[in-house]
Amino acid sequence: MVKVRKGSKPPPDGWDLIEPTLDELEGKMREAELAPHEGKRKVETLWPIFKIHHQKSRYLYDLYYKRKTISKELYDYCMKQSIGDKNLIAQWKKQGYENLCCLRCIQPRDTNFNKKCICRVPKEKLEEGKVVECVHCGCRGCSG
Amino acid sequence: MSISLLSNTYNRQNWEDSEFPILCQTCLGDNPYIRMMKERYGQECKICNRPFTIFRWCPGARMRFKKTEICQTCSKVKNVCQTCLLDLEYGLPVQVRDEALQITDSVPKSHVNKEYFTQNVEGEMALDQQPQPYGQLAKAQPPSDVLMKLARSAPYYKRNQPHICSFYVKGECKRGEECPYRHEKPSDPDDPLSTQNIRDRFYGINDPVAEKLLSRYKEAPQLEAPEDKTVTTLYIGNVIDIDEQQLRDHFYQYGEIRSVTVVPKQSCAFVQFTQRDAAERAAKETFNKLVIDGKRLSVKWGKPPSAQASSGRAGEAGGYESNYELVPGLPSVVPMPSSESKTDFFGLSSSSNMAASTASNTFLPPPPMPPPDLGDYTSSLSYGHMPPPLSLRTSSIHYPSQDPSRVGSTASHGKANE
Repeated sequence: MVKVRKGSKPPPDGWDLIEPTLDELEGKMREAELAPHEGKRKVETLWPIFKIHHQKSRYLYDLYYKRKTISKELYDYCMKQSIGDKNLIAQWKKQGYENLCCLRCIQPRDTNFNKKCICRVPKEKLEEGKVVECVHCGCRGCSG
Repeated sequence: MSISLLSNTYNRQNWEDSEFPILCQTCLGDNPYIRMMKERYGQECKICNRPFTIFRWCPGARMRFKKTEICQTCSKVKNVCQTCLLDLEYGLPVQVRDEALQITDSVPKSHVNKEYFTQNVEGEMALDQQPQPYGQLAKAQPPSDVLMKLARSAPYYKRNQPHICSFYVKGECKRGEECPYRHEKPSDPDDPLSTQNIRDRFYGINDPVAEKLLSRYKEAPQLEAPEDKTVTTLYIGNVIDIDEQQLRDHFYQYGEIRSVTVVPKQSCAFVQFTQRDAAERAAKETFNKLVIDGKRLSVKWGKPPSAQASSGRAGEAGGYESNYELVPGLPSVVPMPSSESKTDFFGLSSSSNMAASTASNTFLPPPPMPPPDLGDYTSSLSYGHMPPPLSLRTSSIHYPSQDPSRVGSTASHGKANE
C-alpha cells in the first residue's frame, strides 16, 4: 500500500534511489504496529516503534548531513512528508546528542525528579555492569 | 462517596497531610543523599484505611523503592516506623517490645471502634504541643536490657532488597541481567515466617518473627549458677588493651575487690572479690552486658578455690598482684588429678595441694564436687597450674588489707609484697 502523499507535487529527483529503503522501513513499522503483545512487558511493546522511527530519521539524516548524497529539495520533501522526525534530527545536530534514541528520553517532565532518562547517562558514570534498558524506548545507553 | 482529590473538600481536614515521614534508619538506607517523592493522599493507611501522604524513596543502589505504608497517626500510636512497622528505638517488632516492657495498651482493631479510636487519637495529637508517644510508652522507662540485647547494632539493609522475581521462579524471566528483581529461591512456604500479616504485626498479636525472637532469647545462655559456694572470682574474657585500673573502677561498685589480675596473653582477666555475694551481684549485673572501652567483655565464673590456691603467677601483671595464703578454715576442694597433670611438669602442684589439704583437714571434709568447668577456663591457661614460689608464708596475711606494706586501699597505692 502506498503511503498518502501530502500535496499534489511529484517527489523531487533522487527519490527513486531512496524509495526502496524507505518502503522497507515502512513495512517494518507496520509489522511492529501489528505485533502481538504476548510475552512482552507493557512498556516493551512500544520499543520497536521507537526503534524504527529512529532508524528512519537516521537514514535521512545520514544521507543529507553525513554523506550528502541527497539534495536539500529531496530532504525537505521527506521532512514535509513526515518520513523523518525533524525534532529528533535537530537534536542530533547538537554536541553530545548525536546518538539520541528518542525525544522522550530527554524530557524532564516524564521523570519523577525532573531529570533525563537513565539511558542518557554515559556508561563510565554508570556503576559497573549495570545493564539498563530504558523504560521509554528500550535504549541501552545513547550518550557518549 | 466521592473519592476524587479535587472534589469533596468537606472531609478533607480528616485526611492526613504530613511534611515528613516517621522512618527508621534501615528503611532510609545507607545513602545520605535521598530524593523522596511526596504524594498527598496517595494511598490509604494499611491499618486505619484512611488516605494519607505517601513518601517514596530509593534506599540505596539495587534496593527496591520503599514507601510509607501506614499513616502517621497509626505509627505514633505504636511508636513504629511508617514503612517497616518496627519500633523506632530498638528496631524490634511491636509484640517483642510490648512483652519486654509489659505494655498493655489495648487499641481497637475492627470496624467502627478502630475508626473512632484513630479519629480521637488524631485529635489529641493535634492538640499536643510536643509530640509524645501514645499510651504507656510515654512513661519514662529505664533502657530495657532484654530489648538492648535483642536489638540489632547495625542497620539491616537486607530488608530493602527487591522482591523475588516471580518469572524467575517459574523459569521464565526474559530480562536476565537487566532484571531488577531478585533471582533467588523464594522462602519455604511452610516456614511460619512466610505468612506475615501487616495488621498482626502492628497490633502485636500472632507475629511469627516476634515469637521466634522471644523464644531465641529465652533459650539464650543465661548466667550460670555459681558452682562452688566459695568461688568469688569472675573470669573476664575479651580483655584487650584494658588495664587493671579500668576493671577495678568498674567492679568496685559491687563490693570490695580482693584482687584483679590481667592476663594479656590470654586476653582475659580475673577479678576476685572478698565477699561471695559481691561476686554474685557483679556477675548478675555484668553478664552479657559489660562493655568497657567499647569492647564487650564476657563474664564467667572463675575456678574453685583449691586450684586457685596454687594460682597467682609470680611477678605477673606489673607486679600489682600479691599472693596471699588461704584463709584457714575455708573449705577447699581437692582438684581432680587429671586436670592438674596436664601442665604439671615439675610435680610442684602436688606439694602445694598437700599443704592445702592439710589445712582443710582440721575442718569438714571437702565436698566431693569436681569442678565441672575447670577444663573450660583453666586448662588452656598455665595461670592456674603454676604455683608461686613463695606461696607458703609464715606470716598470716589472707587479705590485701592485712598487708602492712600496702598503705592505700588499692594495690596501686601501696607496694605489692612479694
